[in-house]
Amino acid sequence: MNAIELAGITKDFRSGAGAARIRALDGISLGIEAGEVTALLGPNGSGKSTLLKIILGLLAPTAGDCRVFGVPSGCVEARRAVGYLPETPDFYPHLTGFETVRFYARMGGLTRAGLPERVWAAIAKVGLVAEAHRRIGSYSQGMRQRIGLAQALVTDPWLLILDEPTSGIDPAGAAEIGALICRLKAEGRTVLLSSHQLEQVEEVCDRAVMLDHGRQVAAGRIDELARRAGGIMLGIESLPENAWGELRAWLEARGGRLHDTRMNRTGLRRVFLETVQRGRSGEICPP
Amino acid sequence: MNRGRLSIGRVAWIAENTFREAVRQRLLLMLVITAAALGGSALVFHHRSFGAPEPEFLLDAGFGILTFFGSILAIVTTVQLFFSEIERRTVLTVLAKPVWRSEFILGKLGGVLLLLLAFCASGIVSLASLLWWRQAALAATDSGTFENGCRISYAAVIAGGMVQWLRLGVLAAITLSVASYARTSLFALVSGFFALVICNLQNLACQSYRLADLPWIRGAARLVGGILPDFEIYNMVDRVKAGGPLSAGYLGGITLYSLVYISVFGGLAIYCFRHREL
Repeated sequence: MNAIELAGITKDFRSGAGAARIRALDGISLGIEAGEVTALLGPNGSGKSTLLKIILGLLAPTAGDCRVFGVPSGCVEARRAVGYLPETPDFYPHLTGFETVRFYARMGGLTRAGLPERVWAAIAKVGLVAEAHRRIGSYSQGMRQRIGLAQALVTDPWLLILDEPTSGIDPAGAAEIGALICRLKAEGRTVLLSSHQLEQVEEVCDRAVMLDHGRQVAAGRIDELARRAGGIMLGIESLPENAWGELRAWLEARGGRLHDTRMNRTGLRRVFLETVQRGRSGEICPP
Repeated sequence: MNRGRLSIGRVAWIAENTFREAVRQRLLLMLVITAAALGGSALVFHHRSFGAPEPEFLLDAGFGILTFFGSILAIVTTVQLFFSEIERRTVLTVLAKPVWRSEFILGKLGGVLLLLLAFCASGIVSLASLLWWRQAALAATDSGTFENGCRISYAAVIAGGMVQWLRLGVLAAITLSVASYARTSLFALVSGFFALVICNLQNLACQSYRLADLPWIRGAARLVGGILPDFEIYNMVDRVKAGGPLSAGYLGGITLYSLVYISVFGGLAIYCFRHREL
């Protein structure tokens, strides 16, 4: 079953009376399968956020049909099933983290019975229990992002729409959010996220949809899309420098070619994460 | 498609949140301090009251300050609270939940009305305390001062405060209706102040049009005059000065008049916001 079905979604914006129409989305048709993690990729201005808003029912399409779990997007049943995290979210600065999540829980229709437990469970999922009684005004961007995730999760939705969930978050926080997305997938929830962090998309997503200038330019499973790029990328660790020549000769003897050599950014990321992890567990003392 | 029912609970939560956000704004604190300082200065300057008795002067000054600062509060706070939701994008996270846009607008309006009620109540309590203190002091120094029955009725002062709250509520509803379709907060702010001026002056304009010879001009003036409320009817200080309580007919009429305008402009705000692209 498809969690989201889009048929010929077109969206035009008019910047003012008499101004020319700008086509933000042009005939997008796709289905997003339930229980999968799908990434919406594309350069800035490609229409990702507009498409997410249409799925949420916050914007009406100029043409086309959008359904969430079989019902039109924007209707009560659809919105009860969806949790949403906007890009670089900001919340009411006068509320604490706990009060913020409680407010959204009430907006989501949760009743008083068991409400605090549900709120604490959502806060615990994003690892903000210790800071839950601080005002949002004193939170860092990363903490706001996490509390945004908590408010999206508090109503226990089956579909999560996350607009740049790791923007403004350090690599350790981004890895934790990646792990959370994987846990949500394991629970059978559907996640649709937009991101520029392609490395993380490869790690956590099953499928990707690419947009450019409002058009769908590619869609499919991540491994299929990566294969389309042609060739296989090798990651090599701990190779002595003097062995590079041998490797090159070995490849050329078999018709291959060493196309590019560069320092592995994944390696740096892993070193960072491991260092942070060891620091938190007390293995490393600050100088 | 099940469109769901309007939930009073959600409206109340949005209103409470809006009120809590508003009372933490520096603008409110600044206006309350300035209003209190001006109210206090009326005590010092009462001898420059051109012969009016001191309680009447205090009453004039008190209601004048309440209306002036209340109007600023009604316009600025409404615009600020509405546009901060758009700029922070909290409106998106709220409306992504099963919350109707009408509930959001009603909650915002409810929060602003609560704030204005708190402002008017604190102003009226301060004014009534001041009047009680000065009337008691005047009665003690000259027992004949209030023999002719010109003591100001506290019930009338409280009713007058409620009338001012209704006026500010109408102004907030007009401002919200502009903000719901305005693209910039500056436009909404300027329009709100324009509406305030028009509402205050329209009684004069209608009076002059009523003198017109042609009946269709008089009819058109009446029609145009009905679009925005006439704030002249909220000026009840002279009635309060008269000493007796404000009549139930006057209070009932003005409440109905205000509710009609609040409903019309609130409805307009809901209509515009439902068609607004966020």
